Amino acid sequence: MLSEKAIKQVDEIIARYPAKRSAVMPALYIAQMEFGWLTPEAIEAVSEATGVPKATVKGVATFYAMYKHKPIGRHLIQLCTNVSCMIFGAERLVDIIKNKYGLEAGGTTADGRFSLVIMECIGACGTAPAMLVDTDFHENLTEENIVKILENYK
Amino acid sequence: MITVTINGKDIKLEKPVTILEAARTAGIEIPTLCYHESLELYGGCRLCLVEVEKMPKLQTACTLYVTDGMVVRTESEQIADARRGILEFLLINHPLDCPYCDKAGECDLQDLVEKYGPTAGRFAEGKRKHPESFDDPIIVRNMERCVMCTRCVRMCDGVQGDSAIAVTNRGSHSFIEPFSGGRYNCEYCGNCLTVCPVGAIMSRLHRHSYRAWLVETEVNTVCSYCGVGCSMVIQVRNNSINRVVPRFGLGINNGLLCVRGRFGYDYVGNEQRIKSPLVKKGGKLEPVTWNEAFNTVADRLKALRERYGGSALAGIASGRCTNEENYVFQKLMRCGLGTNNIDSSARLGYSGAQRYLENIFGQGVTANPIYGIANSEAILIVGGDPTAINPILGLQIRTASRNGARVITIGYAPGLERFNSIGLKPRIFTEGILLSGILCEILKIKPFTGENQTLESVIKGLSLRPAREIAEICRLAEDDIRKAAEAICNVSSISIVIGQDIIQRSNGNRNLFMLSSIGYMLNARMTLLSERPNEQGTIDMGCLPDMLPGGRPLEIETFRKRYEGLAGTEIPSGPGLTLMEMVEAAEAGQIKAMYIMGENPVFNLPDSNAVKKALGSLEFLVVQDIFLSETAKIADVVLPALAWSEKEGTYTNLERRMQHVRRAVDIQGMEDWRIISEIGKRLEVSMPYNSSEDIMAEMVRVSPLHTGLTYEDVDKGNALWPYKGEPLRAEMPSLSLSDENIIADKGKLYLMVRRPLFHSGTLSRRSYALNNICSEPYLRISRAVAERLSVKDGDVLKVSTVKGSLQVKTKVDISLNDSAVLLTNNFEGMGAFSLLGYKLDPVTKAPGIEGTEVTIEKGKPR
Ligand code: SF4
Ligand code: SF4
Ligand code: SF4
Ligand code: FES
Ligand code: FES
Repeated sequence: MLSEKAIKQVDEIIARYPAKRSAVMPALYIAQMEFGWLTPEAIEAVSEATGVPKATVKGVATFYAMYKHKPIGRHLIQLCTNVSCMIFGAERLVDIIKNKYGLEAGGTTADGRFSLVIMECIGACGTAPAMLVDTDFHENLTEENIVKILENYK
Repeated sequence: MITVTINGKDIKLEKPVTILEAARTAGIEIPTLCYHESLELYGGCRLCLVEVEKMPKLQTACTLYVTDGMVVRTESEQIADARRGILEFLLINHPLDCPYCDKAGECDLQDLVEKYGPTAGRFAEGKRKHPESFDDPIIVRNMERCVMCTRCVRMCDGVQGDSAIAVTNRGSHSFIEPFSGGRYNCEYCGNCLTVCPVGAIMSRLHRHSYRAWLVETEVNTVCSYCGVGCSMVIQVRNNSINRVVPRFGLGINNGLLCVRGRFGYDYVGNEQRIKSPLVKKGGKLEPVTWNEAFNTVADRLKALRERYGGSALAGIASGRCTNEENYVFQKLMRCGLGTNNIDSSARLGYSGAQRYLENIFGQGVTANPIYGIANSEAILIVGGDPTAINPILGLQIRTASRNGARVITIGYAPGLERFNSIGLKPRIFTEGILLSGILCEILKIKPFTGENQTLESVIKGLSLRPAREIAEICRLAEDDIRKAAEAICNVSSISIVIGQDIIQRSNGNRNLFMLSSIGYMLNARMTLLSERPNEQGTIDMGCLPDMLPGGRPLEIETFRKRYEGLAGTEIPSGPGLTLMEMVEAAEAGQIKAMYIMGENPVFNLPDSNAVKKALGSLEFLVVQDIFLSETAKIADVVLPALAWSEKEGTYTNLERRMQHVRRAVDIQGMEDWRIISEIGKRLEVSMPYNSSEDIMAEMVRVSPLHTGLTYEDVDKGNALWPYKGEPLRAEMPSLSLSDENIIADKGKLYLMVRRPLFHSGTLSRRSYALNNICSEPYLRISRAVAERLSVKDGDVLKVSTVKGSLQVKTKVDISLNDSAVLLTNNFEGMGAFSLLGYKLDPVTKAPGIEGTEVTIEKGKPR
């Protein structure tokens, strides 16, 4: 079940639309924050909170790549390697993360601290290379500052 | 008028339809795969592509509506190319395992590729692997064969309304899956199986046991499970049932079935079927010849009649037997044994309630077409979950809801929770009070019409409580009661659907009165849910203690004389005992012998342990059944009958439509009517029948309702209420209304009977399929109760009432009221009726089940 606070949030979202199922996607996002990833329980919780059948909710959830379908680390690194970021050396940053934390793209560190996802442009081409850690935005990354930034996330 | 030209042929149409439909009316074939006439349009497969003049690209015929002057071509080089290309794509990941696939021979993909497809594919990369899933006991999923037409999903979402499956994942990785990814845990209607054009979802029951083209005979018949009476086709090979399928365009169910109808038929082949007549010798049932059995029954019944008189004998007829059999049964009881002690399990709700409503509104008031429910603008549902009790009728309510009807449920109806506009869950046992509150609100809006003065004067004489007080008693919001009343007041077509739970109260007649009054004020159609395929037939055939065939009251001399004249025997003039009264009289030693046909009272009646004792004390008990039921086990003579698929006859469904039940397989044995005739002859009753049709011919002379009706009429669908006969017209008798009866719940728990989708009892628990779908009973408790006892799904609880106790697993049910716990009455040794006492409703004579306090505590794991 979702927390009371989350259920309230979902109810507010439902109230914005004529049909309840419009709330499924934002509700999945809320559930993902509560459960860490979209566990079967999280999907069931969304189904219960929105009144949309659980198979349907699962269908929606599995359609979109940006929902998490397996456990992720405490902190999620979303690093861009698309054109601008690549030109400014994002590939090197991937290597640094790999060497420093033993973290492969798409993987999670053994201690469950970080997960790494490679992104296709996160809209920061002007200040490339860039990454998101959880919901924090970090731009103008360099081989020097990336580890320092990551070290702030325990 | 629209004119459209397809392949050079001018087609005139009244209103716009799709190109596909227009072509079909003119006999022009366009291939389709994702299209299905019963499903929402989708336009996903692109096989129906056609050329439309002035449109640059090919168009999908199944979704494009015609306009005046449109010119369409359905065959051309370009179209053939496109179709070939699509089929090539569809086969990229297909395992091409037709030789091994059960669908071969009736597979749309196979047919299409054969007709339009490429002879070889060009795709050299490997195929996607998706192992066949055997996680479910009934449905096997092979997603490598799936063509993503989404017909199954549209069926489950848009027609069945269970939304149990969905397209999961995306693009070439998509597949169809239930939520669990393994077992379906759905309503198991199997309707997705019917619409799947390929072998991607199939039934395991007949896996690899037949080929579509090897089916030898197909028999059109009617389902044996409930009062809806769905049409079905039994496919037979080697004198055994291969499978049961529905047909679009056939019957009330039009291509749909529910789980019981589709998968539950296999009880007929269960090896526990009794094969030979049994007579108790030295305390043990021993096989004997038919002749010995017949003589024993006739001799013993004759002797007991001579000794104690006909009033000491009683018979229970069956809503599972045909009209013909029930007719012969009442004839045996009345003419052969001289008793009117005849009733059936319809007494548990259906028959008493129908009589009550007919007394007010006239005979035939509940004879409303089931499809009318889907067209209603508002539906009030009380006393049961139609989606479980009469599933196909339940679908009509879901359809109505999708079409914008206001659906109001009162009480526990989990299957309608996503479909109701207002769901009222009054405190337990206060449904009747809530109804009076709704009536009170309606009276504020609607004026009396003066049509039925007698009824109006009773309504006026009621002292109805204001909504505020009702809300307090029922623990509901006052506003909701008002809204519910308003919702059903302001529309022109209303259906009221009534289930047993509201009838099985010691003051059930009061509930029925409130419903009648609401129905009267709103001019609503009434429907009674019916758990057996032929409950209506037991009534119409005169298997009632006070009614002769055709619903003619026994006490009216002209009717009785007419009956006696045709039968050539006198019959007792006073009414006999009703079902529960018979049992009580047996216990009191007044009834000495009973003849029970196709019914299992020792299990199916409330306070079943007491029933067992009562029937056990009889001097002579005859049970005619297909299984050695709990009742048969204590009988003196057991007569093995034939099952529904092994005999001919008719059933009358809950809308009073007569339908033909046909023999699909030939089994050694005797139909119920033949057995009774043999005994009847030995008791000097005239029973000159060679077929069920002969019985029908006699019946239509005796029943003023069925005058001149023939099997041909039944087959043509002309056997609808009031058949060819005369309904009885009578003055509304004066009503005596039971008092309100508020049971203080004092924070206690009460045990109620759950009527589940997957089981019906004696038959369903001998179905391999239904037992695999649902293999054991659960005690359903509310979330609050679960928290209070700190138990979770699957924990074993001990349930006790004054009548006894059981250990049973639990399941949390979020639809449930906090003071009710539910248990089914379908599993041997685990029936709710062994824990429940009853109190008769003085008017309907249905057993009232109420105030059944229960304690539950954690039990020991079994
Ligand atoms: S069997 Fe019926 S309820 Fe189950 S998935 Fe298929 S259509 Fe849906
Ligand atoms: S399982 Fe059958 S009905 Fe469902 S999408 Fe696949 S091919 Fe179509
Ligand atoms: S709704 Fe009733 S008649 Fe129809 S298939 Fe189900 S059990 Fe049989
Ligand atoms: S390319 Fe990296 S942010 Fe746009
Ligand atoms: S049948 Fe028209 S697109 Fe599938």
